[in-house]
Amino acid sequence: MVDPRIYDMFREIGRDLYTANMISSHGGNLSIRLGDRVIIKRRGAMLGNLKQHDLIETRLDKNDSGVALASTELLVHRTVYLNTPALAICHCHPRTAVAFSLSRDEIVPIDNEASYLLKKIPVITEEFASGTPQMANKVAEALTNYKIIMLRGHGSFAIGQTLDDAFFWSSTLEEACQIMLFTKQINEPFIEYRGMSDSYSKF
Amino acid sequence: MNGWNGKILEIDLTTQTHKEYPLDMEMAKQFIGGRGLGARLLWDLVGPEVDPLSPENVLIFTNGPLTATGYQTSNRFSVTTKSPLTGTVLDANSGGFWGMQFKKTGYDVLIVRGKSPKPVWIEIKDSVVAINDASELWGMRVYAITEKLGQNNNKRNVLCIGPAGENLSRIAAIMNDRERAAARGGPGAVMGSKNLKAIVVEGSTRPEVDDKERYKFLMYETKKLLAASPLTSQALPEFGTVVLMNIMNNIGALATRNHQQTQFEGAEAISGEELTEKYLVKNASCWACPIGCTRISKTEKVEGEGPEFETTWAFGAQCGVDDLPAIIEVNSLCNDLGLDTISAGSTIACAMELSEKGYLDSDLRFGRADMLAGCVEDMAYRRDLGAELADGSLRLATKYGHPELSMSTKGLEFPAYDPRGLQGQGLLYATSNRGGCHMRGNMIGLEVLGLPKLIDRFQVQGKSAFVILHQNSNAAIDSLVVCKFTNMGVADEYFARVLGAVTGIPYATGELIKVGERVWNLERLYNNREGFTPKDDSLPPRLLTEAPTDGPSKGWVSHLEPMLKEYYRTRGWDENGVPTPKKLADLGLNKLVSGG
Repeated sequence: MVDPRIYDMFREIGRDLYTANMISSHGGNLSIRLGDRVIIKRRGAMLGNLKQHDLIETRLDKNDSGVALASTELLVHRTVYLNTPALAICHCHPRTAVAFSLSRDEIVPIDNEASYLLKKIPVITEEFASGTPQMANKVAEALTNYKIIMLRGHGSFAIGQTLDDAFFWSSTLEEACQIMLFTKQINEPFIEYRGMSDSYSKF
Repeated sequence: MNGWNGKILEIDLTTQTHKEYPLDMEMAKQFIGGRGLGARLLWDLVGPEVDPLSPENVLIFTNGPLTATGYQTSNRFSVTTKSPLTGTVLDANSGGFWGMQFKKTGYDVLIVRGKSPKPVWIEIKDSVVAINDASELWGMRVYAITEKLGQNNNKRNVLCIGPAGENLSRIAAIMNDRERAAARGGPGAVMGSKNLKAIVVEGSTRPEVDDKERYKFLMYETKKLLAASPLTSQALPEFGTVVLMNIMNNIGALATRNHQQTQFEGAEAISGEELTEKYLVKNASCWACPIGCTRISKTEKVEGEGPEFETTWAFGAQCGVDDLPAIIEVNSLCNDLGLDTISAGSTIACAMELSEKGYLDSDLRFGRADMLAGCVEDMAYRRDLGAELADGSLRLATKYGHPELSMSTKGLEFPAYDPRGLQGQGLLYATSNRGGCHMRGNMIGLEVLGLPKLIDRFQVQGKSAFVILHQNSNAAIDSLVVCKFTNMGVADEYFARVLGAVTGIPYATGELIKVGERVWNLERLYNNREGFTPKDDSLPPRLLTEAPTDGPSKGWVSHLEPMLKEYYRTRGWDENGVPTPKKLADLGLNKLVSGG
């Protein structure tokens, strides 16, 4: 059984993702790396309503019985852990960000918070955008140099040292995309207020 | 290629000769500079047969690709050697101005080997190298010799040893720019063993960067990040590192009286707030540093830099002393004599406990502020009991039959953070390649300050992954070389990008961390080659079995064993703490080990 303190962390972040409209009832997943093991959401469990038995512990480097119960995205999570310094991963489906990912190769925020924290978010394309080795490799490669990336038409993958950390990048991205959407709706000339913002797209 | 000068200067003091040769650029890309490059060179130059205080040991001074570029805190240098205190690989790094000036001489690395037949000092003016007679300088203290050799912060910089180094104290520091120190592990004794009193540098090379526009942008962003972090923009400038005193005491993790307690009733009297209110004259900064954590403090007797938190703790809580002026004065004395303040204070605390328990016949007792200065003087000159204190707490405690009273790992005295209230910090101490050290992946950020997010300080399961990430990250930062305090506002992704902008070689964030992992594993291999085993990855019995009886850490001991097992597995090491062939191949270290 997973340590109750770890369960509390998953339950709280999962609930917040759901109430923030960043996942559907059964969408998204969370995981953390515990040494050479991974704790990840059970396949089909509701992130917004996690029970303690919804957390599955499995090996990082190879399969064990836990793989039969774990999220379909386990392969992506493992690949990311094996190729980046990540200790936590938040995968969700932030709606506005997904919408923007359908028409651009990178998302460059215009609000202050996301400009400060993220600079830019690359958008990557994978035809089989769920649980495949190809997708896992693409996501992991992008996350060696960015803390959050978008998979076109699917959702975001964010890494951090803690779940809190990874959730922070995810919610910052969605907030930034909502602000960009509102700006488009208002449709008035943009007044640049940031220094050297031309360089953001090269970050 | 920008970032590196591409040159190594090697001086043989036995023959009084020098030569220069090209830096192996493949090696530089793999290990970057600073600590990483130093460890890689030491691997080839100093084997297990070498006594640290013999002429066969070397001193390797390194800067890094970011040094002297003007990037925030790009002033530091490393000195790598085999430690006379611990017998491990040793890297000590220091700020100030010397590192910047050294880079401007046009060299990336200075290797000093051999032993001069008489005292000498070295002067490097760009590519002009002179080995000068130091017979009249031998015996001088640090402040005096720094002034005599013409210290001028932005033009000419002096690095030297004091009497402690001359007298081969195993806790002697190398001092630079008067009051900065590469202190831990006794590098000053290695310099003394070579009859080398000082190294003065003057340079005119201006480092170039590859992508000026990108570099300018990253400097601008770093400035914003450091200004936005309350630690780098408020806490450190206002209170210095001593801001940690009350924080650590309040959570019951301030080691007190040789780690007999975890809270000190006199903490408030030696806190950062008290230092700022009563003794601070002004702040000061190292070259290109916007943080300015350095204190210039003044008492009736002295005025100078410091004291840092660890110093204030070592002579304060660890010795049961709440007399801040006495601590400021003994800090100044240590700088002038060239002693590591952490090891000096903690060794005195060990002697205090030995004396109180009747194992050592001396007047030392906890709280005896009046004895600190005399002890430190005696250490530097190896007088009376000082001759024994000069070699650190483990040798002292072992001599008197109680090695368990040395609060150290691998013989290096711990800093202030008591690992019973900080499980990750305990694992960090136990596994640190240079011994019980907090600068090899400090967990205080995660377990206390919430950098980047607060984690449960008592949690055991999974702690190894955090420790390993921070060990790797710090090894990378030490190889750039920049100050770790920038990491309180600036994430690793910025360092990777700055390194790319300076050198023209794209380093992804993950690749930079992997450089750190490579450095860490190489240091481990070095220690294994020296004969270190898992039993050396340990903590004193007190921290494993004696739980505090009150305070916020009440009932807790360090749960090292399960963390250590998890640590080895997570590192990709076998149960004997040896990196597996698979791990070595992944890091590109396999040929090094096989001799290929």
